[in-house]
Amino acid sequence: MKEFSVIELAKRVGQLLVSLFALLVVTFVIGRLLPTDPVGAIVGELADPATFAAMRARLGLDLPVYQQFWIYFTSLLQGDLGTAVLTGNPVVQDLSAAFPATLELATLAVIISTLLGVPLGMMAAFFRDSWIDKLVRVLSLVGHSIPVFWFGIVGLVIFYATLNWVGGPGRVDVYLEGLVEPKTGLLLIDSLLAGDTEVFWNAVYHIILPACILAYSAMAYITRMTRSFTLEQLNQDYVIAARAKGASNWRIVSGHLLPNIAVQLITVLAIAYGGLLEGAVVTEVVFSWPGIGQYMTNALMIGDMNAVVAATLIIGIIFMVLNFLSDLAYLLLDPRTREATT
Amino acid sequence: MKQFSKRLFAGATFAFMMSVSPLAFAATPNDQLVIGTSLAQVLSLDPQQGTEVKTQEILANVYDRLVSFDGATSELQPQLAESWEIDETGVTFHLRDTTFASGNPVTAADVVFSLTRLFKLDQSAAAGLKTFGYNKDTVETLVTAVDDKTVRIELTDSIVGEALLYRLSGGVGSVVDSVEVLKHVANDDYGNEWLRTNTAGSGPFTLRRWSPNDLVLLEANPTFWGGESALKRVLFRHVPESQAARLMLERGDIDIANALTAADVRFFDGKEGFVIDQVKTGGFYVLAMNAGHEALSNPLVRQAIAYGIDYEGIGQTILGPYGQARNVPVPADWEGAIENPDWSFQPEKAKELLAEAGYPNGFSLTIKTIAQAPRVDLATAIQANLAEIGINLSVQQGNGADIVAAHRARDFDLLLPQNSAADPTALGALDNFTNNPDNSLEANNAGNFVWRSAWDITEMNALRQEANRERDPVKRAELAVKLQEMFVASSPAVLPLFERFEPIVVNARVQGYSGHPWSLTRVNAVTKTDAN
Repeated sequence: MKEFSVIELAKRVGQLLVSLFALLVVTFVIGRLLPTDPVGAIVGELADPATFAAMRARLGLDLPVYQQFWIYFTSLLQGDLGTAVLTGNPVVQDLSAAFPATLELATLAVIISTLLGVPLGMMAAFFRDSWIDKLVRVLSLVGHSIPVFWFGIVGLVIFYATLNWVGGPGRVDVYLEGLVEPKTGLLLIDSLLAGDTEVFWNAVYHIILPACILAYSAMAYITRMTRSFTLEQLNQDYVIAARAKGASNWRIVSGHLLPNIAVQLITVLAIAYGGLLEGAVVTEVVFSWPGIGQYMTNALMIGDMNAVVAATLIIGIIFMVLNFLSDLAYLLLDPRTREATT
Repeated sequence: MKQFSKRLFAGATFAFMMSVSPLAFAATPNDQLVIGTSLAQVLSLDPQQGTEVKTQEILANVYDRLVSFDGATSELQPQLAESWEIDETGVTFHLRDTTFASGNPVTAADVVFSLTRLFKLDQSAAAGLKTFGYNKDTVETLVTAVDDKTVRIELTDSIVGEALLYRLSGGVGSVVDSVEVLKHVANDDYGNEWLRTNTAGSGPFTLRRWSPNDLVLLEANPTFWGGESALKRVLFRHVPESQAARLMLERGDIDIANALTAADVRFFDGKEGFVIDQVKTGGFYVLAMNAGHEALSNPLVRQAIAYGIDYEGIGQTILGPYGQARNVPVPADWEGAIENPDWSFQPEKAKELLAEAGYPNGFSLTIKTIAQAPRVDLATAIQANLAEIGINLSVQQGNGADIVAAHRARDFDLLLPQNSAADPTALGALDNFTNNPDNSLEANNAGNFVWRSAWDITEMNALRQEANRERDPVKRAELAVKLQEMFVASSPAVLPLFERFEPIVVNARVQGYSGHPWSLTRVNAVTKTDAN
């Protein structure tokens, strides 16, 4: 049994590496073939062609694409993702500053959407075609079809500008900026580590609205999927048997249903989480959130491909790792998948 | 027991945090100024490199220039140079006795170093002075230190003293601390890599933190020669979404917003507690026509286009606070500006001109623009206007890098750039529109607006040069008028459409903030009153 797991694991890791390499090649080639480069953004539009050419050479953009790729790839293996034109910093340094902001937002959003979405989906299934089911369906349809951008602005108008319940754009009120030294980059954690409760509460006050808005769009998906998984199970013999034995609804859910849909749910949650990390782009712009989405958008605008390729890779890695982990969870939680692959 | 104490501890912590949770959040403190802006284009804080508009306000508060000019009156004022004398061959500057934020004294060597690195880096920032013969080969002989506190800049034969002073008053003329910068030189870069993200100035503030696309945080410089500022901190907050910025301004979370859309600016019109400052930049929104294109090489066609655009209508509906119609490249209220020609939306006349040029059935062109407000809307409005005279446009949008590259490579039919006045005088404004020493493809003068339009203006270029070197102010003014008339008569391929304004909205709590035409607004004299 153990031997099998190791082989299986190695195979999956191998697949992961191949996919990452493919992602790297595609992103890099698209980036270099686009008729856009960051030179104009650096030297300014009134500079002479000679200055353009000199800067292009300094950035190595005058070399053939395969050579540029080789240089990029070999430095990547040493952990060097190049320098971002956008900021003049090593890309790794930029990403380690921007990524935690996105991670914090997306993690909170996935927690909120799971805590609300799973019970709502189950309730909808239990009370199929009742008003609860209909309400849940409408809620998820709205969450799925209305753009996050719109929700963001409307959310700000209502909860920030009118009701004053939450903070505005940004991670904290601006006069509290720079008071907490970033250790993890996750402001909620850093402020607690520093013992600065004012910054902590201010950060909570600021993150809650964007997190809820992101959570709502993810919740739509989680609710729908949970509903259909639950419906499928409700017709199974073991549920009917449990009912016949007089088990309560709660007992059915916690003792029988949840373990049976857990595997599928984990996949759905992993996809939702990945989607949140990647889909935070629009939310980050509306809420002036200095995360990876905004970083990538601005890099793309000036043709800063080092930054774009690196950010794409990070998001790609996360997606793949999440997939990988949910596959592993399959193997661990569901004995049938193990038997099926032997 | 252990379990119990853990819970007790957690409970106590939570209770403590709840008790100190400041649920009533205050407005911005009186000693901090918060500016909501877009930092997306702020790529370098090196003053001899970063020319982007939003960068200028940061530079203006961190660095001193030799001289500055008053935004309202255009009058030259001392900054690092306490005084100066203009003679026949050059300008002598006497520096004030002060230090950089680092503690190093400000010397003539710093001024020479700063101007030298401007031309040696030879980027866009140097363009305004290169026109006059200051460049990487001549700078060492033209800019010299007479003694520790005296700098001498020789005039070339194509510039007068006043114009030189104006061009040095831009952000590119910022004086950097050469001792500090020289510590950070790598690969002969004149400290560029380091200065991009660090500062070494003598201005009223110092850079405390720059986190790109998020925040620029300045702190008061206690050693500033002008005395310490009432503001302890100035924060530039990146708020890319205009509606979000509007809400923040309304709520008092930011004091000034300078990157709002026309609609969001209008929202504050007449609203109590806010002031709209429509800063006139002296620059223009321009319609660049490629005179290398067969139809567009014909002045009659260009004239038809000039009569085919509804400037007034577009100005009111699209530009609003961002500009006003004007087809002469000198802003209407500047000294020596001539009357606007009768170019207005006259489709019948435009059609006649097209027929006369041999295009009775019109033709098709593309128009390229940066995908950014208000230029995209401007492009679609021009598309609708020109359709009425038989010219069918297809609009192509792109990011800044793409569109500028196409413009530089003469790879366009029509394109919508914007520009700035090289200095706040009629001749300074004309610079971008009447400068093209060599129109040949080989000249590859891609930094030049007129060259990009392949518009050959030998005669006008000669007149501009004559005007620039004329020392008699009366004759200079006459030549500037003649140049404008010649420009209008030539059916320009670089057609000014609208004067370009930068509207900013300021919370009335803020006193003493008035926007500078080149965004070189110093805030050390700004004060704030208590929030209501």
